[in-house]
Amino acid sequence: MRLPAIRSFGPTVWGIGLFLILLAGSAPRIPVFLLTLVIGLLIWATLAYSLNLITGLTGYVSFGHVVFMALGGYALAFGIGTWNLHPVAGVAFGAVVGAALALGIGVVTLRFRGVYFAIATLVVAIAALYIVLEVKELGDGQGLYLPSSVGFQPLAMFYTIWVILAIEIGLTYIITHGRIGYGLRSIKSDEDAASTLGINAAQLKLFVYTLSGLFAGAAGGVYAWNVSGASPYQAFDLGFSLQMLAMIVIGGMGTLLGPLIGTVAVYLPSQIFLTIPVLGGLQAIVIGIVVVVIALFVPGGIVGTLQKYIPEFRGILE
Amino acid sequence: MTRVLEVTNVHKYFGGVRAVQGVSLTVQEGRVVGLIGPNGSGKSTLLNVVAGVAKPTAGSVMLDGRRIDNMPAHRVVELGIAKTHQIPKPFLGMTTRDNVGVAVLYGSRKDRDLGRAFDEANWVLRLVGLEPHAETLAANLTVQDRKRLELARVIATGSRILLLDEVFAGLSPDELREAMGLFTRLQKEIGFGALVVEHVMRAVLTLSDRVIVIDEGRKIAEGPPQQVVRQPAVIEAYLGREAARAAT
Repeated sequence: MRLPAIRSFGPTVWGIGLFLILLAGSAPRIPVFLLTLVIGLLIWATLAYSLNLITGLTGYVSFGHVVFMALGGYALAFGIGTWNLHPVAGVAFGAVVGAALALGIGVVTLRFRGVYFAIATLVVAIAALYIVLEVKELGDGQGLYLPSSVGFQPLAMFYTIWVILAIEIGLTYIITHGRIGYGLRSIKSDEDAASTLGINAAQLKLFVYTLSGLFAGAAGGVYAWNVSGASPYQAFDLGFSLQMLAMIVIGGMGTLLGPLIGTVAVYLPSQIFLTIPVLGGLQAIVIGIVVVVIALFVPGGIVGTLQKYIPEFRGILE
Repeated sequence: MTRVLEVTNVHKYFGGVRAVQGVSLTVQEGRVVGLIGPNGSGKSTLLNVVAGVAKPTAGSVMLDGRRIDNMPAHRVVELGIAKTHQIPKPFLGMTTRDNVGVAVLYGSRKDRDLGRAFDEANWVLRLVGLEPHAETLAANLTVQDRKRLELARVIATGSRILLLDEVFAGLSPDELREAMGLFTRLQKEIGFGALVVEHVMRAVLTLSDRVIVIDEGRKIAEGPPQQVVRQPAVIEAYLGREAARAAT
């Protein structure tokens, strides 16, 4: 695979790059409560880009993405607790588990199309919770918690998830701008027509799904590191799947900038909601309404809509 | 080496419906074979079987002596056989050029270099006369241009045997004349072989080196175009027994 030349980078790439570099530079200087907020933002951005790889690029809607996140978290907790891994190695283990899981699940579920795939992913996510509840090595239904020797290390967490997100966005760019990107857009547009032009749809879908599982597993690892463990009902919360979906729907599915915009648009308000006790429960309702309205009236999300109605943005936003 | 597509005794059943019942035919690179027959006679089904879109119930499809009927559609394209769709299936959200570019990138040439692939795509667009619409979204193409795009894409795959499903249907007389001229030009220039399913008689009889007639899933006649259409069995299949008797 040939790498795109730097001079071909558009304003969107430079913008995202600048944003990430500013974050990295200011991280050591900002107060801890703000840094935790930023870590959360980056974890969610990684999850949104992960879902974007499969749902945004191929049109296969995954309702069960939380399964990779949850088991990535369990993998980290298991790795640290059992093998005494360094947390960063635990995150890497979470990524490997996420990728392996996606590969295995994808071989079966990617045979289904449209709503059948969506339901299959949902079923897998629900089933996975009940399997994990029965596994002794994974806490026997009580969850796995990090030993107290693993202290709160916000900066290490920040740079770990920062690197993961930067790699993920870079890969998204390379994929969408290369030969594979053309194949994926063809599959998203008309899978049958794509295969009659020589595109191995099964292989390409499995490739991006595995990649997607890898990053969701890594993000889940950092998430578990951040909350010091994985407890089954919280880790497998289907609300997580919906939140990832909301982020890419609102930001703009299949675009390079959309998942980041969507993460900021969903994550920051949700953090504010959470600080006001009365409104805490309303968060899901508000997100749900916003997603329905966007899906009905502006299916391109924020980025897609800007591209569509403001011609000047077409060459800038991607 | 001249490539040869051999279809031998192919059957295709859908539950109790016997769409194709033992059809054999041969298409050579550089030659055009017309496949005609009344509606529902199994022509499109046969094309789908050859293209790997549908698996035959029995019989075999071979390319240069190698069995391809057990291969998925994308493998068949890689080997050099590509099919147009009866109802054009362009990638609506992509430009015309990108539609053709995809076929170059993934067809039998598998050129992984984007720059070269799009040079090739531009060449094909010029060839079929779609160059003025290269930047147009496929969703905004007219029906006639979408048919051209179907043709452009199969050519862009680099295939040596093309399966064309009613590319001349639904055109006005002027458009038909133009499309036939285009086909002849392309066929001379590129030298592909083609299996052409067609309802428009004028097109089939003019363009084909050989014509095969199928009716109710069976081959009822084969030979040079002008000779085949005079056979009583063919006239009967199209116009009924009375007409066949009257003609002979």
